[in-house]
Amino acid sequence: MDDFQTGLVELLPRLRRFARVLRSRDADAQDLVQQTVERALAARSKFRVGTRLDSWTFTIMRRIAIDEGRSSLRWGRVVSPEDDATARVADAALADEGLRADALAVRDAIHALPDDQKHAVALVLVEGLSYAEAAEVLGVPAGTLTSRLVRGRQALIQTLSAQGVTG
Amino acid sequence: MTRYDDEILMRRIDGELSAEAGERIDAEALNDPELAARLERMRALRAAAREAFAVQPDPRDQALARLIAGAEPVVSPWTRFARALGEAFAPRRAALWGGLAAATFIGGLMIGPLLDGRNDGFVLAPGGEIADAGLIRVLDRRLASEGADGDGRAVVLTFRDGDGRWCRTFRAGDAGVAGLACRENDAWSIRALAPSAAGSGEIRTAGADTPAAVLAAVDTSLAGDVLDGAAEAEARDAGWR
Repeated sequence: MDDFQTGLVELLPRLRRFARVLRSRDADAQDLVQQTVERALAARSKFRVGTRLDSWTFTIMRRIAIDEGRSSLRWGRVVSPEDDATARVADAALADEGLRADALAVRDAIHALPDDQKHAVALVLVEGLSYAEAAEVLGVPAGTLTSRLVRGRQALIQTLSAQGVTG
Repeated sequence: MTRYDDEILMRRIDGELSAEAGERIDAEALNDPELAARLERMRALRAAAREAFAVQPDPRDQALARLIAGAEPVVSPWTRFARALGEAFAPRRAALWGGLAAATFIGGLMIGPLLDGRNDGFVLAPGGEIADAGLIRVLDRRLASEGADGDGRAVVLTFRDGDGRWCRTFRAGDAGVAGLACRENDAWSIRALAPSAAGSGEIRTAGADTPAAVLAAVDTSLAGDVLDGAAEAEARDAGWR
């Protein structure tokens, strides 16, 4: 394997984490990781040495997530709330063993954010990217990133304190 | 006492403030319980978000790692195409290609099989029509005198064929291929394509020789002369009508 491949393998756990923020259902998150890896491999000639592989790959994943969102709207694909809840319970049982109830509440609150805010929160709070890096991944000016982050955070603090979750 | 807005506090927590500005806020928080509480809420939220989405080992990552490890070292949209061409031009097939080059081969006919029937959509549409937006732009707009673009794509010769169609030869340095495309039904159709010696992945701006197979196709198609720079610009500005 060359550096690109090694880097991508090392990035897998973080890609999966980012996907889990973008997609609440485990199967959807897995699809997203798989597609992102495939597209990253196919597009690797466009990767410039010296740029950050994580930001580059997050950008790919975010684009796929947005395109999927659009096409599911376009095709009117509707997941019934019941199906969704069932799947989530199953996922939670599999993936969240031992996770505190508070952490689950935080996860739900982040999933419930509008996409723009959710993506900003995912990149900065969860992934620890700088504002400049996150803005680049999202393809927005720094000011836009900042305001999404402020609104997302305010919404989260509000939701969680209403539920008595201190974090 | 300063009233800080959420954005400043958020920047403090996220490490996006200068050290001095951060220390100033921390110092004020020592004497301002409300400010301290707001900072703490934000700090706790950041920690909680990371905890809620902790990195977890996942057995499915093994399969993905194998997928990555098994990937070809270099994969550009054109690579498979170029590899297939290189294979086709291998000496043991020289006789086959000698005949084809002399007769000019038509994209859809020859290239389809080379791609195993799998058309990636961005290279060629059925029938040999070019569907790669970057290459279309180069063929539509680029002048020979401008050399190669950032992807190593350049136009070399421009002329009309026996039926009055505009034709242009191009090099796609990123792909390591060169070819001849002609204007048909308001689109560019591939007439000939061959691996180009210039393309080894590196972007070349210097003129490189057009492969013999492409030149042979030019000779077969050409009616009259190739255009000079002025006539080329004129034809472009007229939209290749």
